[in-house]
Amino acid sequence: DWKSNLLTSTQFFNSGHTNNWAVLVCTSRFWFNYRHVANVLSVYRSVKRLGIPDSHIVLMLADDMACNHRNPKPATVFSHKNMELNVYGDDVEVDYRGYEVTVENFLRVLTGRLPPSTPRSKRLLSDDRSNILIYLTGHGGNGFLKFQDSEEISNVELADAFEQMWQKRRYNELLFIIDTCQGASMYERFYSPNIMALASSQVGEDSLSHQPDLAIGVHLMDRYTFYLLEFLEDIHPASQANMNDLFKVCPKSQCVSTPGHRTDLFLRDPRSVLITDFFGSVRKVEITREAVNLTSAAEQPSEPLSYVDQLPVAEIIHQKPKQKDWHPPDGFILGLWTLILLVFFKTYGIKHLKHIF
Amino acid sequence: MAAPLTLVLVLAVTIRAVLFRSSLAELISERVEVVSPLNAWKRVVEGLALLDLGVSPYSGDVFHETPLIIYLFHFVVDYAEIVFMIADGITAVCLYLAVQNYNKNVFRKQKYALEADRYPHDCLELMRSPREMHYIPLKVAMFYLLNPFTILSCVAKSTCGLNNAVIALFILSTLKGSALLSAIFLALATYQSIYPLTLFAPALLFLLQRLYIPVNLCRSSFWFFTLQYAFMFVGSLVVIVCLSFFLLGSWDFIPSVYGFILSVPDLTPNIGLFWYFFAEMFEHFRFFFICVFQINIFFYTIPLSIKLKEHPVFLIFMQIAIISIFKSYPTVGDIALYMAFLPAWSHLYRFLRNIFLVSCVLLACSALFPVLWHLWIYAGSANSNFYYAITLLFNVGQILLVSDYFYAYLRREHHLSQGLYLRRKDGSEATLVLK
Repeated sequence: DWKSNLLTSTQFFNSGHTNNWAVLVCTSRFWFNYRHVANVLSVYRSVKRLGIPDSHIVLMLADDMACNHRNPKPATVFSHKNMELNVYGDDVEVDYRGYEVTVENFLRVLTGRLPPSTPRSKRLLSDDRSNILIYLTGHGGNGFLKFQDSEEISNVELADAFEQMWQKRRYNELLFIIDTCQGASMYERFYSPNIMALASSQVGEDSLSHQPDLAIGVHLMDRYTFYLLEFLEDIHPASQANMNDLFKVCPKSQCVSTPGHRTDLFLRDPRSVLITDFFGSVRKVEITREAVNLTSAAEQPSEPLSYVDQLPVAEIIHQKPKQKDWHPPDGFILGLWTLILLVFFKTYGIKHLKHIF
Repeated sequence: MAAPLTLVLVLAVTIRAVLFRSSLAELISERVEVVSPLNAWKRVVEGLALLDLGVSPYSGDVFHETPLIIYLFHFVVDYAEIVFMIADGITAVCLYLAVQNYNKNVFRKQKYALEADRYPHDCLELMRSPREMHYIPLKVAMFYLLNPFTILSCVAKSTCGLNNAVIALFILSTLKGSALLSAIFLALATYQSIYPLTLFAPALLFLLQRLYIPVNLCRSSFWFFTLQYAFMFVGSLVVIVCLSFFLLGSWDFIPSVYGFILSVPDLTPNIGLFWYFFAEMFEHFRFFFICVFQINIFFYTIPLSIKLKEHPVFLIFMQIAIISIFKSYPTVGDIALYMAFLPAWSHLYRFLRNIFLVSCVLLACSALFPVLWHLWIYAGSANSNFYYAITLLFNVGQILLVSDYFYAYLRREHHLSQGLYLRRKDGSEATLVLK
């Protein structure tokens, strides 16, 4: 029936996100932290497979495992023992490598405050219709994540960076995944809207690694990301799997630690959020043969978006105080004109007054 | 003479109106030779906008004009162009009336001196006749209104035009003999930029001369009048400053205006001498050289007043010239004011020695300013040394002009007392040498 197929203009204009970005960060160096690089590369691989192009991925790897002189299988990074899956492949584009992975650069990428000479591949050029996936892995603790063995980023800094992104309208929705020890502490300080966070372990728990490979000699992956990768391998661009499935990844029986998640800042119901909203780059395209009437008035949103302590958007964006016109004080005007009159009459004589009156 | 003056005024207003409507107005209001951080129109608008937002206009290094300008422009900011044209008109009319008055006095004194036979007999060709003096006020007004410097300054809406108007009003009220008005306008001019303070001495000398009080430090009548005038001046200055306090409710404007003028923190290039020097100055010596440069302006007052005791109007001209050469942020508007006086000394033509040199230097430098600015800032093939060299040359040209007129004036006075054709004691021809 053509009437039921007729799209209303509201549906047409009802937009969620229009583009996807991913910021994938591995913060540890040294050969024995092979698994962190493998973590990030496996998420990178899934995200690329599901459609996000390299131009929309900011990949930060603190060390180079594939070409490390201790790697017995050079130019490869494996995620499974028995070398089943080489996540390095031949199509990896690393944007920040080695010592460029610092807290400052990470925060600058997020907030966009980079020097003008920074190339586009190193920038997060998101806008207010971007869904961003942020994946962090490395060594962490209660409230911090260690970068490069020499500095750390705290959960407060991260929360403030996300708030800056919100204020500058740099994201529509944000999915934050962290795979470190005590990872849940990193998302407990978030206060900006539209952020969903997942962590591999609660405060006080350690995230454990999955399995060592005896040929390579190090642990290849962390448990949480291993099962995440397994879950993501089943996702394809048309998949309708939602966030509730993602929350079930790696239960305590498999992960030993308790994965956690936080959805109170997120406006949509996690059940209605598709995995591909963040991990893929799925465009909403509907082929229609009927005409859509765009001129009918769009309905007002049913209730204003709200979260704890939200300011109205007009106040956040414009912040213009009311224009109050300044007027000189009355005493000043009185004094000035009295003086002028006095001088006038002193110069020209008081006797002229009687000509006026 | 009202009709030609009106014609000149109309012509001047037309030229300015045409330029205001053209696209050149934007270009001109950004030239550093025409606007300085003190009197740029952009900054006035910025200050008024800050005030409307509820912030003191002196916060941040934006606005350096006085609160009375805020008061004035708060109401007329939409008609700013008309205000500046009126200011130029007021300046021209005041200068016209002042020079007319001055010429009358000069001619009267000359008549009395001739009747008293005080001039040597071969000086008759140096005598001034009413015929040559008839058109001088009109020429003065024309020189001011049609001077390209004035037109540029008016089109750029630089508040220098207002400053010139106040100084012109001061000159008129001094020449009319009204001590109170002259003190008030001088206080207004000093309040706006500090340097007109040096005009206190010539005004005092003129008023003393007019009241026939001899300038003798022992006489009580001299001190009495000086104290009166000084009291009126200082009193009106204090009243104006306090009134400005009541306008905005704070003393912010004092460091912003006077501190800015005296300590020269902003080193944007202009046609003055301060910027290049202080760009290269070590912090250690900065205070010392600031003091040296600022004292330089006030320093010439005393020797000049001693020399030009009997000629206070020429002293006013010299002082205004010195102010506009040596002030911390000069613009071409300041130059236009003293150049307007040049027709008043047209009788000195025969004694001027450097006319060709000075006019070539001034013309060439005025043409080279935008060229070298472009080469320095936009093309990048020159540097600040080029621009400063032209600035230096321009100022040297101005100093040559002023000192040439000074020489010519003094020489004429000398000839008036000693005779035109000088003879040595043995009768052979002597030449006058400026040592």
